[in-house]
Amino acid sequence: MRKLYIIQNALKIMTLSGVLASMLACSVNETATVVVHDDGSLIQTIESNSDLLAANLSIIDTKTGFVGELLRAQVEIRNGSEDVLNFQYKFKWLDKSGFEVGIDGRPWHPISITPYESKRVQGVAPTLEVNSFTILVQD
Amino acid sequence: MKLLQIFIISIGVFVLASCSTKISYGDATAVETTTTGFGSTDLQTIAEKLVDDLLVFGPVVRLTAERRPVVFVDKIKNKTTEHIDTESITDTIQTKLLKSGKFRFVDMTTVKAIQEQMQFQMDSGLVDPSKAVAFGKQTGAEFMLYGNMSSIVKRNSDTKDVYYKFTLKLMNLESGILEWASEKEIRKTGEKSFFSL
Repeated sequence: MRKLYIIQNALKIMTLSGVLASMLACSVNETATVVVHDDGSLIQTIESNSDLLAANLSIIDTKTGFVGELLRAQVEIRNGSEDVLNFQYKFKWLDKSGFEVGIDGRPWHPISITPYESKRVQGVAPTLEVNSFTILVQD
Repeated sequence: MKLLQIFIISIGVFVLASCSTKISYGDATAVETTTTGFGSTDLQTIAEKLVDDLLVFGPVVRLTAERRPVVFVDKIKNKTTEHIDTESITDTIQTKLLKSGKFRFVDMTTVKAIQEQMQFQMDSGLVDPSKAVAFGKQTGAEFMLYGNMSSIVKRNSDTKDVYYKFTLKLMNLESGILEWASEKEIRKTGEKSFFSL
């Protein structure tokens, strides 16, 4: 009887530990996207599964131009919250058919923006075929 | 007594659970902060920044507007106290520049292998002489890409601060003029956590 009691308790503890471990393993890794065409005609707002980034980050200015046939993009990101936001961004370059160019060629860049401030980030397309881009944001 | 037994069993379960090895694939472009040492994120960031700088530099844009200049990459001097594979950085830079369609390269690391292959084609008697690669037809580089990497490391009992500076330069081999140079600075700070005491 006593052994059974111990086993029952041990099972309870194991179950609780498992639940706790699963909760800890669910770290947030959402991605937000903003797509801008090369003519600058379409600018979408940030969409994200991360409520924090979706609610507080916004694109306030986008500049695009060609430098020696390579697309150059500059995006001004604003932190509209009263807290410092630490997140990561990277450019995703697309050709005319919408295929991603230079997959794995661009690292995530850590960035920190103070409350109600904005920062400009920029990049140059990796190949001549690129004519649009997406900026990805994740926390 | 019961509590003690439950505690011991729980500890045993945790120990057993923590002994399992988990292997998984990750994002090669993810921010890596395992240590303050030079890492994959530093390499990728340096290559991206310097390539972008070179490709938008006015005189270089004009130079590459009509033709693709031939460049050779010299070794990057590693002045840091770490062992850093600087060839890996220049390989990434070279690959990005090639993909940009703006530059061409001659690879000096393969000169010996090329010489051996050409000698084989000429002397072995196995290759049709009309189809053998001719000597003296290779293109010479017009520019040299070179640079160095340095670091400053400072630490106290709680914090370690590492500052890296990577400098890359483009020289015109004929005139000896430095056509372009750029730097990328990286600062990394590591703090001891309370639990690591």
